[in-house]
Amino acid sequence: MINVLIVLSHFLFDNFGLTIIVLTIIIRGAMYPLTVKQLRASRAMQEMQPKIAELQKKYGKDKRKLGEERMKLMKETGVSPLGCMIPMLIQLPVWIALYQSIIMVLAAAPEGLLNLSGYLYSWPMVYSLLPLNSNFLWLNLSSPDVLYILPILVGGTMWVQQKMVTPVNADPKQQTQSQLMLWMMPLMFAFFTLSFPSGLALYWVASNIISIVIQYFVGGWGGLVPSAAGRPDSRDSKYKKRIALEETTAKDADIDADIVASDSRQGGGLGYEESGDKRQDRGGGYSPSLREARRQSRRRKSHRPKRK
Amino acid sequence: MWFKRKSVLGKVLLLLVMLLVVMGGLTCLGCVRGLQPIGWSGTVVSGDTLFVGSREGRLVAVDTADDSWQWSEPIQTAGSASILGCSACAAGQTGVAIYGTPAVSEDLGLAYIAGYNGKVYAFSSDSLQKDWIYPVDDSLSPIVGGAVAASGKLYFGCSDKKLYALDAENGYFEWKFETGDKIWSTPAVADGTVYFGSFDKKLYALDADTGEEKWDEPFETEGAIVSTPLVYNDTVYFGSFDRHVYAVDAADGSLKWRSEVEGGNWFWASPVVYDGVIYAACLDGKVYILDAEDGHEVADALDGGSPISSSPVLVDSSLVFASQEGVIYAVDTDSNKLKALADLEIDVYSPLGVNDGIIYIHTQDLTLHRVDVNTGARLMDISLESSE
Repeated sequence: MINVLIVLSHFLFDNFGLTIIVLTIIIRGAMYPLTVKQLRASRAMQEMQPKIAELQKKYGKDKRKLGEERMKLMKETGVSPLGCMIPMLIQLPVWIALYQSIIMVLAAAPEGLLNLSGYLYSWPMVYSLLPLNSNFLWLNLSSPDVLYILPILVGGTMWVQQKMVTPVNADPKQQTQSQLMLWMMPLMFAFFTLSFPSGLALYWVASNIISIVIQYFVGGWGGLVPSAAGRPDSRDSKYKKRIALEETTAKDADIDADIVASDSRQGGGLGYEESGDKRQDRGGGYSPSLREARRQSRRRKSHRPKRK
Repeated sequence: MWFKRKSVLGKVLLLLVMLLVVMGGLTCLGCVRGLQPIGWSGTVVSGDTLFVGSREGRLVAVDTADDSWQWSEPIQTAGSASILGCSACAAGQTGVAIYGTPAVSEDLGLAYIAGYNGKVYAFSSDSLQKDWIYPVDDSLSPIVGGAVAASGKLYFGCSDKKLYALDAENGYFEWKFETGDKIWSTPAVADGTVYFGSFDKKLYALDADTGEEKWDEPFETEGAIVSTPLVYNDTVYFGSFDRHVYAVDAADGSLKWRSEVEGGNWFWASPVVYDGVIYAACLDGKVYILDAEDGHEVADALDGGSPISSSPVLVDSSLVFASQEGVIYAVDTDSNKLKALADLEIDVYSPLGVNDGIIYIHTQDLTLHRVDVNTGARLMDISLESSE
């Protein structure tokens, strides 16, 4: 990546600032599908938190049951913690490589330039192009920004990005933690920008802006616009249906009990499901409607013609 | 209630600690990857005293007769120091980095060092008391090359693209000359002319008195020039980042030859000449042996095993150089045979110094290593750490 940065800067008018921005866009663009996957998954996870809290309240003492219900919830909503982790784990090495490459090519100190020489390919132009021109706009990319504009930009863009992904929590404790994170990270990065080479800060700003744009397209303004934060997602419709069903069943259970019993005595031979009656879900399985939906889905699969 | 409060407080503290650890790691990562200047000052001997700039930002004077040493006050960091300082990661560095080898004016009794903080300092060579500073209040851009004292003037290049000439006695400004990019090369002064290279890929020749250009136009290569030019037999020899060694006519700046052989990396160290042969060390780990007249390869390049950024020295008829991995080699200039003298087992970046057949190697761990060239024996190291 170091050599790509150097060669790219040659084609971008020997402007290393522009090179940092363009390469950040290219790499983030290439990672777009993964980023979207990760954002969607983490958003879904956030939206599931109240439901998980509900389950914890309900089955707090029975760990096994809680685990089962949690798994069931995840299956129904199609959300998995791995959905967040895997795309991030794939992207992380690339981001770190880009970050490290920028640091090395900036060669802020003489030791850096000497160290850089060990990473160069024997492409003819690479050796002659270095050291790169470190002037960009008002910045010397290998020194901190003396006008303090970049620290503000780093902090500001990071705050916006964080705000977009921070869920609105009903729990005041979690809300306090979210608020702390929301302010702490931007403030710390802004603080570090005061002493880091501005080339790195430029990378952070570019990366934050790209994240904001991607997040906007994936999930709108998120927590930035309060009304957008609580918008329901179609993903959890199955879960809501089941919960609604369970609640209704719970209410009707006592009323229906006698009728169901008399019906079965009259020898109709119909089971609970076949009779169409509602019963309380005793846990461990899917609700009747969901079970039927799964059965139909399996049937559809089994009717597919087999390839010879 | 108290437990609840404690739990919230604990979480907040945990969060803070985590953030600090992450950012600390990030910062340290930046440090070791070349964000933090440390310095690689070489050594110079004047009379019985050896001068070196330590990584504590001090001028250290070592008496070569009895190995006793004294040090100056540390030079101060200019205002733009890192907020974090990165000092924790840089193994205790507190002073200003010094890259250039100190210069000494025996007539004036002054020793000079140029700091990465953009200031030049003159000290009494006897007492190491500060005599003058340039500039007094402000500071220039970082100075990486060394200063050179000649004919009552002090010359040094700066990262602000300019070469400065000061009155060596009092530090008064004499003249300056602007190039197209940073100057990290230590100037060479010969026959009233100052020769130096710049990141703008050009070699300049200026009148040492007036600062006016001597050649119609500077000599241009295809890469930045960091190495100190060598002036020998009316010819200026230097290596470039374009992986070639050049010989340029000292009088008019015309090209005499460009080495046919291409190095595998940049030429960072200064070339050395002995008996009509140029020895040019390269960052590809090899020392190229070229004829001073026409630049053809006299013998196969010698392999030092790792990059060579430290400028070699001549001891009688032996060329001594250090690889970056800390192996010290001696080359018999008659047979051009290579012999490993010692392995310091520490990275070497600074130019080698020599006095009475002993090689002095300053390393970034505040140590001055010594190797006897004749026997290859390592003498006792001298720690440059001040006790203050």
